[in-house]
Formats: sequence, structure tokens, C-alpha cells
Amino acid sequence: MATKTQQLPAPETKRQFKTSDDFDDAYLKDIERRTNIWSCIQCGTCTASCESGRWTAFKIRSIIRKVVLGDLSALDDPDIWLCTTCYQCYERCPRDVRPTDVIIELRNYASARGNVSPAHRAVIKNLKETGHGVPINDQVRQQRVELGLPELPPTIFKYKDEEDSELQKMADRLFNVAPKPDPATKQAANEEDG
Amino acid sequence: MAKEKSFASFLGCIAPNRYPQLELATGFVMQKLGYELVDMERASCCPAPGVFRSFNKVDWMVAAARNICIAEKMDRNILTICNGCFGTLADVNKHLKADEAARDQVNERLKELGDYEFKGTIEVRHVAEVLAFEVTPAVIKPLLTRKVKAKAAIHYGCHLLKPSAIKQLDNPEKPRMLEDLVTVLGVESVEFKDKHTCCGAGGGVKSFSAYDSMVILAEKMKNISAVNPDFILDTCPFCHLQFETGQDYLNKNFNNNYDIPVIHLSQLMAYCMGMDENLVGIQYQLMGRNYSFSDNAEAIVCD
Repeated sequence: MATKTQQLPAPETKRQFKTSDDFDDAYLKDIERRTNIWSCIQCGTCTASCESGRWTAFKIRSIIRKVVLGDLSALDDPDIWLCTTCYQCYERCPRDVRPTDVIIELRNYASARGNVSPAHRAVIKNLKETGHGVPINDQVRQQRVELGLPELPPTIFKYKDEEDSELQKMADRLFNVAPKPDPATKQAANEEDG
Repeated sequence: MAKEKSFASFLGCIAPNRYPQLELATGFVMQKLGYELVDMERASCCPAPGVFRSFNKVDWMVAAARNICIAEKMDRNILTICNGCFGTLADVNKHLKADEAARDQVNERLKELGDYEFKGTIEVRHVAEVLAFEVTPAVIKPLLTRKVKAKAAIHYGCHLLKPSAIKQLDNPEKPRMLEDLVTVLGVESVEFKDKHTCCGAGGGVKSFSAYDSMVILAEKMKNISAVNPDFILDTCPFCHLQFETGQDYLNKNFNNNYDIPVIHLSQLMAYCMGMDENLVGIQYQLMGRNYSFSDNAEAIVCD
């Protein structure tokens, strides 16, 4: 019978060694300024309380560890988008690290690098076009009339076509996330560095 | 000081654009209690504390501050019916009141959007918290015209009570406010496993990965259906949407057979205060269309 060691993949595929390029001190310092990450004692209360991590690959304790080391891979990790911001870890953390806020900071960084999923870009498009994350549809317009409510609520969408529209101003100035990074240029940049 | 007994009514997105019956029911309840609700013209998405804050925290604060400014101009406190809107607006309001540097930064950006300046003159309230702590169950009781005999699985949602350091409403691990409210309405709150877990929709997870969102909900629904409640009672249109569309998804993809009605606190309260059942609007919802309050209602005879 094969031993456990023999079943493991060859070392070069098992582990990718990191280089100094994978760490960024400035990013660490910036996040540190606005959160409490240095207080983390890696106790794991956050992961144990995590309602998403119970079912998904999202492991908040290891992500905080990466941030403390300045490891940039946390920003490209899609798992940071699996936090439901339920604040359970935030409430229970014995060191007041506020892990939910750390996730928000990471997502802000990731968005600035263009790491925003197509589904989330669609939600931003909704906001820019209608002023709502969830816009109205014909069925609900009809339902509102049947209930005796005005067909459109008095929100910004109702006033979208007025002169000097505020919706247009908001669309122009808010939530302009960076475009998706082009895999070709990313590859080229890595090769140059390497 | 903002006007008393009058609120700037913040609708948000999902209530007016998916479940307008929640908007109608809240208006009915607040009117019965002697409050005035005034429309907030040109209000936008709050914007959602999970998804939009994740893209850019400063832009999120600016858009939220704009909504708060609309109410400040009306000299009224904001009333929300959604945990998400409450999460964003209450948190930003408190943050900008306390942090002068952030307030200056936001005010500078607000100028680009129109004639807005955050002054910090109002409070942001949630309808559940107003009913529980300002109006109080004792005052609600004599205003009821009927009670509903039913078992409810109460779902608080996350952003009503948490972060508790900011919200300061009730114990987030074992709250009592909604239980105390529904008891007055004749409804029994049933306990179930992991009662205070998340519905799985927030933080942009529902849009980012619908499957993961549904896996989180599946556990919640399993625990809820185990105690066989007559309906799920929530205080948040986003949880409402998640329970509704989620049951449908779980039935189609996970071999379940759920049909539990989802009721917002305002809907239940409005019915008990005499609102016509058609306007409560369960017939417009996906789940539990066969459920009827009137089959389980009991008129209150004045004594």
C-alpha cells in the first residue's frame, strides 16, 4: 500500500514559491492605517464564526494572515468576494480586528486593480443607468398601480430625464472602477519582471 | 432638531422596485400610529453596504451622504424599511458626524453632485426599531383590530443589529425586540437551530456567486422548515428577496419542496391594524400564495 507521502504531488507542482514581488509594503501600511490588523493573534474565532466559510473556500483567518505579511495574492483571490458582510466575526473577534472592514479594504484595492467580476459590473451599470442596484420592471409597475401606489416611486429614476439630471452627475462621478486587467499585458509584465 | 412624529421615508431599491406592498404597509402602519411619512424626492440607492462599499468606500459614503442631505433639507429623520439601507445610512451618518476629516472630504465631493452639504442634523431609523423602542408594544396593543394565530420563524437579518457598537439596539447574539413585538400581534416566535445566521444574500455574494449564496441559504431553510413555521418574518427586503427566490431555486435545483410564505414585519403589523388583506400583497409573492392571514385571524373585541 502506498504511503501518504508517495501519494502527494511532486514538490514543484505542489508549492509555488513566492518572490519579493508578491509582497507590497505600501499596500500593507495603507490597510494598516485604517484597520486593526496588527492586533490579530490568529485565534481563528473569525473563521469559526464565518457563515460563508462554513460552506465555501473562504477562510478569513488565512486572508488576514496574508494581509499582515503584505502578501498581494489576497487581492487576486476571488474568495474575498464570498464574504456576506454578516459581521459575525466583527462582533466576536477578541482583538477587535474588525475582519469585515479588512475585507472591504481588500475589495477596494482589488477593484482599483480591475478585479471586479462581470456580475458586479452589471450591478454598477444598473446603478449608473437607473440610480438603483435593483431597477424597476414592467410587472412591478403594474403591481404598484394595482396597490394604489404611483407607478414610479419618487426616487432619482423618476427624474432621470430632467434638465441637469443628478443621475447623470452621479453616473459620471461615482463608482468608476478600473477596467478588467488584460491577461496578455499581465503575462508580458510578469515575463519582463522575471 | 428634526421634526417629531414625522419621517423622511427612504424607500431604497428592492422595496419600491420588487415588493411595493412593503412600502404600502409601512405607510399604513405609521399613519395609524400618528406619524407622517414624507417622500424623499430624487433619493437613490442607499448604496448597498456590501456590494457598493466593496468597490469604493469613499464613493459609497458620498452617495449615502447625498441621500442623508435630502432628508436634512426636509428637517426630518430618515425612516428605512430595509436592513441594507439602515446599514449604509446609519453607519455613514454616525461616521461623518464623528470624523471631521471624512466629512470635509465627502462634502467636497458632494458639491459635484448638486447643492448638498452634510451637516449632521438628523438620525437614521429602521421601522422595526421605531416600533419596538419608540412606539413600544404596549402602545401598539390597543390600536390592533385583529390578531394572527400563527407560528413565525423570525429572521433579523445582519445589518439591523450589527455592528452592535454602531447600532446599539439589541444583543446581536440573542435579541428580543422582534419576539416582543410579534407576541403582541398574537404570533408565536418559534426557535430553530442557528437562528441568527445570515440569509446568504449580502456582501455582493448573491450577484457574485448565486450558487454559494444558495448553499448558505439551504442550511438556513433546512433549519427553518424543521420547525414547520406558518411563515418567515423578516425586516429586510433583500432577505425577503433571498428567501423568496431562494426557496424557488432550492426547489428546482436541490430537490426541495419549500412553500413557506415570507412576511415583512410591516406587512404583519399592517394586517393586524386593519389593512385589507389584498393590499398586504402575499398573492404577488412567489412563495406561500395559499397562505391567508384571515384564515388564522381573530378579531379583537373591545373590552
